[in-house]
Amino acid sequence: MQRRHFLKLAAAASLSGCEMRLPWQAPPLTVLRPGMAAGHALRDGLPAPDPAREREVEVAILGSGVAGLFAGWRLAQQGYRNFCVLAGPEPQGNAAGSALGGIPCPRGAHYLPLPSLESAHVRELLAAFGILRGNPSSARPEFDENVLVHAPEERLFINGAWQEGLLPQHGLEAEALAQIERFTARMQALREARGADGRRAFVMPLALSSQAPAWRALANESFANWLTREGFTAEALRWYADYCCRDDYGAGIEQVSAWAGIHYFASRGGHAANGEDGAVLTWPDGLAPLTRQMSATIGAERLLPGMALRVTPRGAGVEVLCLNGAEAFRLRAKRVVLAMPLHVAAHVLDLGEFGFDKARDLPQSASWLVSNFLLDGFPREASEEHPLAWDNLRYGGDTLGWVVATHQWIRAARPAQTVFSAYHALPPSTGRLWLQNAAQDELLELAGRDLRATYGRDFERRIQQVELTLRGHAMAIPAPGFLQRPGIAALRAADQHILFAHADLSGLSVFEEAAWWGEQAAHKILT
Amino acid sequence: MPHRLLILSVFIVASCGLAYELVAAALASYLLGDSVLQFSSIIGTYLFAMGVGSHLSKYIKDEDLLARFIDIELLVGLIGGVSATLLFVIFAWVAAPFRVVLYALVFALGVLVGMEIPLVMRVLNARKAEFAEIVSRVLTFDYLGALVVSLLFPIVLAPQLGLARTAFLFGIANAGVALVAAQAFRAELRQATALRLRASIVLLALIAGFVGAEAVTRWSERGIYGDQIVHAQTTPYQRLIVTQWKDDLRLYINGNLQFSSRDEHRYHEALVHPALSALAGARRVLVLGGGDGLAVRELLKYPGLEAITLVDLDPAMTQLFSTSATLTALNQHSLTNPRVQVINADAGQWLETAPGSYDAIIIDLPDPSSYGLGKLYSEPFYRLVSRHLSDTGLLVVQSTSPYFAPHAFWCVVTTLDEAGFHTFPYQAHVPSFGVWGFVLADRHGRYQPPKAYSVPLRWLDAEQTASMFRFPADMPRPEVEPNRLNNQALVRYFEEDWRRVIR
Ligand SMILES: Cc1cc2nc3c(=O)[nH]c(=O)nc-3n(C[C@H](O)[C@H](O)[C@H](O)COP(=O)(O)OP(=O)(O)OC[C@H]3O[C@@H](n4cnc5c(N)ncnc54)[C@H](O)[C@@H]3O)c2cc1C
Repeated sequence: MQRRHFLKLAAAASLSGCEMRLPWQAPPLTVLRPGMAAGHALRDGLPAPDPAREREVEVAILGSGVAGLFAGWRLAQQGYRNFCVLAGPEPQGNAAGSALGGIPCPRGAHYLPLPSLESAHVRELLAAFGILRGNPSSARPEFDENVLVHAPEERLFINGAWQEGLLPQHGLEAEALAQIERFTARMQALREARGADGRRAFVMPLALSSQAPAWRALANESFANWLTREGFTAEALRWYADYCCRDDYGAGIEQVSAWAGIHYFASRGGHAANGEDGAVLTWPDGLAPLTRQMSATIGAERLLPGMALRVTPRGAGVEVLCLNGAEAFRLRAKRVVLAMPLHVAAHVLDLGEFGFDKARDLPQSASWLVSNFLLDGFPREASEEHPLAWDNLRYGGDTLGWVVATHQWIRAARPAQTVFSAYHALPPSTGRLWLQNAAQDELLELAGRDLRATYGRDFERRIQQVELTLRGHAMAIPAPGFLQRPGIAALRAADQHILFAHADLSGLSVFEEAAWWGEQAAHKILT
Repeated sequence: MPHRLLILSVFIVASCGLAYELVAAALASYLLGDSVLQFSSIIGTYLFAMGVGSHLSKYIKDEDLLARFIDIELLVGLIGGVSATLLFVIFAWVAAPFRVVLYALVFALGVLVGMEIPLVMRVLNARKAEFAEIVSRVLTFDYLGALVVSLLFPIVLAPQLGLARTAFLFGIANAGVALVAAQAFRAELRQATALRLRASIVLLALIAGFVGAEAVTRWSERGIYGDQIVHAQTTPYQRLIVTQWKDDLRLYINGNLQFSSRDEHRYHEALVHPALSALAGARRVLVLGGGDGLAVRELLKYPGLEAITLVDLDPAMTQLFSTSATLTALNQHSLTNPRVQVINADAGQWLETAPGSYDAIIIDLPDPSSYGLGKLYSEPFYRLVSRHLSDTGLLVVQSTSPYFAPHAFWCVVTTLDEAGFHTFPYQAHVPSFGVWGFVLADRHGRYQPPKAYSVPLRWLDAEQTASMFRFPADMPRPEVEPNRLNNQALVRYFEEDWRRVIR
């Protein structure tokens, strides 16, 4: 080695010395609890300062999650200008993104299934952003390959080895394999199932599903019950179904209704001209880029920081008392869209006026932990037969695996650093309290459980930074009975000065559903 | 007399001890790179092990001192002598446990060497020499031995003998000390004959090793590469090996042949000139991959080119081909030419952010043997490339063999079609590769192969060119999917095709 080169190296090493960590020092940790302080302040009814200023606007959208932004996007796209979006305590809500060490990564939602024909609103959105190409209502549109998940897509660690795909196969007994095959065929058939009203039984958005009582009755029992009744008893199959429900609904087969469980498998029949069935769309920071693009169409001038404290009907309009930091202001609007979770909406407005009974109608919510680990290099794989995939899961436990934020990068070599994002849905009954009280060590233990089990020390020593996002009230659980809540039906139907838009109106939380209620609100405003 | 002999042995023993340490460290930095790390960790391990050895020496009983000293010499000679050759063979044949063996050897040697000096001191002490005198003499010769080797090693031994034979040479010296000591002290030793016999066998074995070392290293090199290795380096991205046999230089990346200097001109003439000679006004050219500078050498034949940008992932690769005398003779110093700018970056990342458009883009990347490389043969990647190509510009992609890997080759063609290019696939015969394939592409389908070449070429001419664009009947175009990031079809085709060919 040349001396000059060596000196340069030495200089570089000493320069970066401040970032070096001794083995016993824990990596820098950030714990985020988006919306918690604001939500609890609202619940406790803290007094607000007098408003210092006032702003008049035709439509005020309160909340900048997927539902609020979609409503705003649709208005702007239709040339409607006189509106604003109040961001709320967490801009982008559950679809927010982050970046660690300059690497974008998700803090919540991370993928979108290929939209089915009925998800026309999502297809239109994707077409507007150039992600879906050609005719948005064709059965097999083309998608931007940059965001179609790259191969290898998923792998499962089961019976001591990795296998391709998440559906358990490796090392299973014939009976379990047969049941899994039967289950897959059954769900495939249920995609085409129709009710007496001619509609498909399980549709995304769920509001377009058949209303026939025969199908809706499935919403009254648990998915676990239904599986047993149908003879789906194999442990591997039940674990898989449970995993899918936990991954999307934040609760397992014992807690979610059979209707919701089946909906997961039977509602997403989208195809791509240039991707395999069952492919998903994903960005390095999850779905955050979609919220950013919607915000861009809405325009920065219409996005206001701050949260709503109180919504009061006043004459032919609505007054909204808002708080931004320490400063209060008032919005006067002809119409408002409450694009916030219902448990928050219940504190800014008396929902009883709409026939909404909190005790009866408010869904139980699931709690989530999203853990981003910035890693120096990629931990060593025990075998290269099934290399690191976008989504990596371990069979058997109640964890949800991890996704790789740099997976979609177009690179010949792996980047020097990456982010692994691990997901955990906590047990519905105890999860929220646990999140609130757990010590940092306990949070970290859960956050890294799968990764330590897979990579051991090699994972540990590569960690440069950790960001934990704790979501106590992350999403509504589609428990038995969730389709029969009169209060929810009332909020969906509201069409006067106050409209509602949030995934809570579906009772299950996915991008398409949230966007659907944004679409409905925009539609009411535009017609 | 025995006194002097022991002091002399200290000198030899000390030189040997240092020599093994240097051999191990030099070999490690040669094979693994990062010499600062290798030297410092090996010296550290070695010194620590010597401490362990000194400590252990106290467990040797006084009456066994001489016999154990001779045993230790033999063991040091044996382990140290074969160390370099053994490591090299392990590195050549089984890559994984190399570091483990390396540090185990260094540690074992350190422990044994660490026992030597305390033992000699105790032997002398037992002979009632004055203690102060012993310490002073022994340590003087100890340090003197170290000095001699530290000078000899880099100046004479390593360059003249090579690492393997240097190690054997010092092994012989150790065993020699043992034999001489067994002879000189035979009166005091209980099993003098057995010791002498052992010493002679080890000595002979080491001498045989010294003679045969060259052959063993060549054999292990040939085990992988067929020829003698003149450069071996493991970088963060790949393993680079340059071999030479007579006038044939070869580059291997991760064990795959990249070129042979015998016929690389065919490959690089075919890669560059059908495009460049069809572009009269070309000024700016981009090369992705091609860190060997051979494509750039061909490009530099066009005086009209003002700027050639080469983007290669691995700084070690472009560094090697910018500085090594044999290799720069081959690429005619192309990488240090003032018209050439070398950038070390991942082509995917670089294209995402770099501005500028080029009249020709030459993609000379390794074959699509991994998902990472597969991404650089995908439709979105070609669309990204397309953003950097001038409207009338030409793109050339090395596309593996249409004969051995037809699905892979035509998959590249189909992917380029899909990305909106008009494609002109062609193939050339490169003896060390067999039939090799390239895809030329433009935006408007106007490309015409050159009818004549104005630059000096060794192989390519108008007739060759015309026949290159014709695919004979035994190379039909199979039905293939384009390479999508969602399915990485190309990586699959490539694997399946080559699996059929390689037995
Ligand atoms: C961990 C996790 C992973 C997920 N993964 C996926 C996935 O992969 N794919 C998928 O499709 N879906 C996924 N989801 C679900 C998806 O994120 C949600 O369905 C969607 O983001 C919900 O959007 P929303 O607008 O209905 O509500 P939210 O995201 O809850 O947004 C509520 C908005 O209201 C605002 N707000 C709150 N209080 C007030 C107030 N007082 N005044 C004004 N504004 C207020 C907040 O700031 C926020 O902007 C995931 C969810 C979680 C939690």
